[in-house]
Amino acid sequence: MLTVIFTALSGGGVGGYLNPNMPILGPLVQGAREQVTSLVQNNENLQNIVPGQGVGAGLSPNAANSVQAVTNKRSPDKITIGTFNIQVFGQSKLAKPDAMSVIVQCIRRFDIVAIQEVRAKGDNVLPDLVKQLNADGSRYSFLIGPRLGRSVSTEQYAFVFDTTRIEYDPSSIATMKDPADLLHREPYAARFRTRTSSPDKAFTFYLVNIHTDPDEVKQEVNALGDAYQAILSQSPPEDDVIVLGDLNASEKQLGKLGQIKGMRWVVTGDVMTNTRQNKAYDNIVFYGPSTAEFTGSWGVLNFEQEFQLTRDQALKVSDHFPVWAEFQIWEAPKQGIFAGRLGNRR
Amino acid sequence: MADLDKWRGDLQNQDAETRAAAAEHLCQAGEGVAEAAVDLVKACGDEESVQVWAVAALEEMGPPPVSTIPQLIELANDHQSIVAYWAITLLGRAEDASSQSEGVLTELLLNAGDISVRERAAWALGRLGPESQAAIDALKTVADSDSVRLARLAEEALS
Repeated sequence: MLTVIFTALSGGGVGGYLNPNMPILGPLVQGAREQVTSLVQNNENLQNIVPGQGVGAGLSPNAANSVQAVTNKRSPDKITIGTFNIQVFGQSKLAKPDAMSVIVQCIRRFDIVAIQEVRAKGDNVLPDLVKQLNADGSRYSFLIGPRLGRSVSTEQYAFVFDTTRIEYDPSSIATMKDPADLLHREPYAARFRTRTSSPDKAFTFYLVNIHTDPDEVKQEVNALGDAYQAILSQSPPEDDVIVLGDLNASEKQLGKLGQIKGMRWVVTGDVMTNTRQNKAYDNIVFYGPSTAEFTGSWGVLNFEQEFQLTRDQALKVSDHFPVWAEFQIWEAPKQGIFAGRLGNRR
Repeated sequence: MADLDKWRGDLQNQDAETRAAAAEHLCQAGEGVAEAAVDLVKACGDEESVQVWAVAALEEMGPPPVSTIPQLIELANDHQSIVAYWAITLLGRAEDASSQSEGVLTELLLNAGDISVRERAAWALGRLGPESQAAIDALKTVADSDSVRLARLAEEALS
């Protein structure tokens, strides 16, 4: 039995690329959208920065623990989607140039990355990050959710993406509603599309950003199974729903999310995703038959080895390594129940 | 661990930057940091630059040492809800080892002013496994609460 009904309410788009008929805005979503609108506008001003010296220059990709190394040179016909828990990403981390240099170099490997653990009372963290990302002429932008948490200590989710490669649907940005209050930090979701010469054939996908509560993992990963189904029921229909983040659960602890028939996840086996290399809590999860855009390439970006850091230096960056997966930029043929629904959209 | 003692001492320093640096070091210390459980719970009530690292350290910490249980029980009644929240969380993680906290948790479940503290008390009682009739009665009472999360956690604690 579905114990809870999640809803991922969307807001009316203002120039969204899909221009759907949108339902009601919830207060939480409205707050997030206002913040997103404000920050994105500010952020656009940051994209005209005079290109500077790339902080990632000269470093060799030799991550021994990566299943496959993700390189600075991104493929034109593929995108790399990442997830990165940047532990306590706030003022103190911004003030550490060495740590920020590594963070920037990692994010530049990705076309889009879901970030967890933005922890700051101020709103400058993502603008400052994007300013550093774009210092080499890159054109990254970001979306950020509201502050979430059960105590006065809160976190925000964010998406950082290369605007030359990825665009988003403004009407799709939502913090999921959780009326049964099962999740400490409700997932932050948005729909994206690759930028191609043929937008109607481009890969579209939802990213569902999550950081579970380590004390309530079993309940929360079960709730994520419901959350996944709720996103699937959104209008317009989207067959590619990618749940990614710090699940605080290994592949054997994915509960209802992992039990959905056909669901697959990239981090498997004895690959660890934390800096201390003893846990595999970060992952990228999606429905295999639908998300045929996945190329099979994925990895853990071990920045300790990649950038030849000591363990202490690496821990100053984060206690988690980024996890990434590669996808084709073109939408794959629809499978099963999605074929009819999405076929009607076009 | 000498560094651990230094960082614990630095958490009491009058300078906020020193306290924040100490909390960050403890967060990154890994094994052994549980010895600083009480210091970190208290640091949750400090200013943001300290609090964020204290909370992060506590999130990753496992059960606290048994020797810290009496102090954590005291902190469960702290006037700052975030301090109480984390003290209760560690008591819950200690499970049977913190059975002496059942009375305090029961009181907080019924009467704490902050809903997050009441919810965490219900969760912690579930981890301990409520034994006293008072705790069981309190959980039955809040299982009828209008708060959907509090009611669910109470039901889970009773099951």
